[in-house]
Amino acid sequence: MSASFIEYGILNIIFAVFVSPLFISMIKKVKALAQGRRGPSILQAYYNTFKLLKKETVYSTNSSWVMRTTPYVNMAVMCVAALFVPMILMPAPVSSIGNIILFLYLLALAKFFMALSGLDAGSTFGGMGSSREMTLSAIIEPVIIVVFAALAFAMKTTNMIEMFLGILKSGALFSNPVLILVSISLFIIIIVESARIPVDNPETHLELTMVHEAMILEQSGKNLAMMEWSHAIKQMLLMGILINILFPVGIATELTLAGIAVSALIFILKASVLSAIIGLFESSIAKSRLFHLPDLFMIAMFFSLATILIEVFA
Amino acid sequence: MRQTRARELDTLNELFYVGTIGLFLGALFSAIGSKKAESAKVSLALSVVSCMSLLAFSAITLYYNEAISIPLYSIIPSLQFSFFIDRLAAFFILIISIVSLSVSIYSSGYIEHYKSTAKKNSLTSLMLVFILSMVLVVSSKNMFSFLFFWELMALSSFILVMFEYEKKETRKAGLFYFVMTQLSTVFLLLAFILIYNTTGSFEIAKMQLSASGISSIAFILLFLGFGIKAGIIPFHKWLPYAHPASPSNISALMSGIMIKVAIYGMMRFILFVLTPQLSWGIIIFTAGVISAILGVIYALKEHDIKRLLAYHSIENIGIILIGLGLYIIFSAYNLPELAMLGLIGALFHTMNHALFKSLLFTTAGSVVNATETKNIEEMGGLIKKMPYTAALFFIGAVSISALPPFNGFVSELMIFQALLSSSALANPLLEIFLIAGLAIFALTSALAAACFVKAFGITFLAVPRSHEAEKAKEASLPEILGSGILALSCVVLGVFSFQIFSLVGYSALIPNLFVVGALLAGFYAFAFAVMHAFASGNTRTGETWGCGILSQNPKMEYTASGFSEPIVTIFKSIYRTKKQNDRFYFDISQSVFRQGNAEIRLMKFFEERLYMPVARIAEFLSIKASEMQKSGLDAYIAYSFITIVALLILAGLSA
Repeated sequence: MSASFIEYGILNIIFAVFVSPLFISMIKKVKALAQGRRGPSILQAYYNTFKLLKKETVYSTNSSWVMRTTPYVNMAVMCVAALFVPMILMPAPVSSIGNIILFLYLLALAKFFMALSGLDAGSTFGGMGSSREMTLSAIIEPVIIVVFAALAFAMKTTNMIEMFLGILKSGALFSNPVLILVSISLFIIIIVESARIPVDNPETHLELTMVHEAMILEQSGKNLAMMEWSHAIKQMLLMGILINILFPVGIATELTLAGIAVSALIFILKASVLSAIIGLFESSIAKSRLFHLPDLFMIAMFFSLATILIEVFA
Repeated sequence: MRQTRARELDTLNELFYVGTIGLFLGALFSAIGSKKAESAKVSLALSVVSCMSLLAFSAITLYYNEAISIPLYSIIPSLQFSFFIDRLAAFFILIISIVSLSVSIYSSGYIEHYKSTAKKNSLTSLMLVFILSMVLVVSSKNMFSFLFFWELMALSSFILVMFEYEKKETRKAGLFYFVMTQLSTVFLLLAFILIYNTTGSFEIAKMQLSASGISSIAFILLFLGFGIKAGIIPFHKWLPYAHPASPSNISALMSGIMIKVAIYGMMRFILFVLTPQLSWGIIIFTAGVISAILGVIYALKEHDIKRLLAYHSIENIGIILIGLGLYIIFSAYNLPELAMLGLIGALFHTMNHALFKSLLFTTAGSVVNATETKNIEEMGGLIKKMPYTAALFFIGAVSISALPPFNGFVSELMIFQALLSSSALANPLLEIFLIAGLAIFALTSALAAACFVKAFGITFLAVPRSHEAEKAKEASLPEILGSGILALSCVVLGVFSFQIFSLVGYSALIPNLFVVGALLAGFYAFAFAVMHAFASGNTRTGETWGCGILSQNPKMEYTASGFSEPIVTIFKSIYRTKKQNDRFYFDISQSVFRQGNAEIRLMKFFEERLYMPVARIAEFLSIKASEMQKSGLDAYIAYSFITIVALLILAGLSA
């Protein structure tokens, strides 16, 4: 691993860790405005995190090391995953970081721990959350893999950073029309993976609707802060992938202070627009029944398969 | 130079002799000394030493890429036991010896659960025969010794499956297994005769069959024969019967390595003896995809922990076949690099599955002994009662779910990589076919993760669900040690996979997982340090909220059936679950309920639609045949007369 990649890694991880909560509250704000409420401050997610860090951590008597390690594993995985998605600086590709499958399975590792921690306390809610989360993530998995296969077909590489570089180098906006099709599928994946309506409802604690929230119901204090924080990072990374595919323009390619600052501002701007779109999408649609979700996934599957058909026969 | 090399080879030969003869003596020792309590321990110690020497032998052979020939014993000039070990065989001996080594250590603790000395000794003796036969099948140089040891392997494993014959379900399982395994041998025998007829040689290395109609028939026979033994769907039914019935150390050996011997046979004969065709690759790939997805979907529904693991073996055999199929497909399109990726993925997955599946079976065996049940719905909370076993099972679960940086991930990554690069094929339809396979493969591996969240979560986490689980005690030291070796190899083969592949000459296939693992550990420690420095360190323990009832109890926990319910509902057409719900009312507006009946019927699809019809035909034919035998002496004389006349006519015609 070269020195320049290490510089990139440190910058990218710091950016991901400290900016990610912003978009969580931004989506909340957009939803509140759409519903005619004033909504929380745009920095609310930061306030929540600091509040939780100061609180004591309560463990169930039933719980084991699974409960205690899960928050750290999640944070660690998200930090490593942040290396795969350049947001403010485009590095030169390296061999050990960037593999698409590795990225997806790192996220799966975090999810595996999270689902187990849901079962650890022995409460009904946690188990329900784990069960639903694992079901959803299983049936969305073929869609995700086909989306990335479509990208791999289009960009002729399985290294994410090489893909993004390729798209960036091709210059013009919408250089490859196929990418628009992939983006539709990717948007649905963001909705599913960041636990949003119609798949999940991040606002409620009602057993009928919650999935992700149910799993982390038994977490508290600093552990809850880490779970929510890592969730925010994950959402930001997924948004970063979509941004890098659709509008990569503006990302810095060389390490200069001014360049990085401009690039960071541009990314926050792009991601804010995407957050607004996600918020509006959530406001305009109702939570769907768990067993109707495969239909939504089929739509995503259709667009990514269409991409592959075009790539194969073109 | 040449002499030193020859001497080195001689030492290698000796290692092989020490290993095989050691296993044989071990088997003999506990068979003869079956009255003495200590014989089993001595035999197992012998087995450990033998496996170590085989391990060294195979590792050296693998590293130097040396082919070794060991002629041994000849009954009649043309039929002799002779052995030949090349890199492929050495690789499988490596797998067999490492798993047998750990299982031998594990067994010395496990057999203590049997009260009678005779049982302990006979289990040990048979187990060593079983291990020995597997080593010798893989090293066989000709078809005669291959078949001989193949049958020895089948017979010894059959007796081992029947070991707890007092139970009714064991007898059923044993019978089922016996029929299937003999069916497999029948297909192999036919294939071997066919190949011998064409090539005129019993030596595996000298049998070469170019593409022709005969080689296609031979392929089908071999694929059926080895496929039955490997447990490909639809020939898989014996696995979920035989694995739960046999003792857990035997399940570990059978699932870990015996079905891999069938994979060895498939590779040896289909890749090296026959000339693989594109269409065979597609057949193998399709069989692999179907076995993988159906295996995991059936596993999700199981609550018997050993049966659940058995279904996962079917899934993983499917994954191995996907890699093998890809090798043939890419080779046919002359893409050697991608083909190699598929083949190495398949081989490495064979090894990884052997390791984590025997790990899961051994730890599950300890759990079953501690809780006296195989039903995970009656377990729970064992992470506190059996912390080491839980941690070891956890490593197995993470590995089989293909999560980085453990070994299962590496081999699945290779197969994924090969599939993602299928755009290199110049055949659009085939590319789309492979992408469909890729999507199903991804689904398989995600469902496997879901299944192991269930298996680990329900078995080990939360509150004990039964009195037995409450009283469970940690497994004995040898059991933990044996499983521990397997767990350690799972971690090492994952984290250091890049370094290991560079060592044997295949670098740049995979990302360096050591870097990823180190980064994960680093960030874990960093997060821990940051939290320690900045966050509140106050912690408190309290009861989980009991939904308003005074205290929380095991009935409030999520159950295994509850856990898999959403998946079962989504895939209900595959399970062919039939729900019937008839209600009768007193009044016409259907408000006053009178009576009703509800029924959920699970269809055993393959048993009802494939196995039973075949069994019925076989039964019908044998009844017809036995009717011929019922008649008296005159009828028999008539049969002889007709036979002689027929022979005479035949002789006259052919002359």
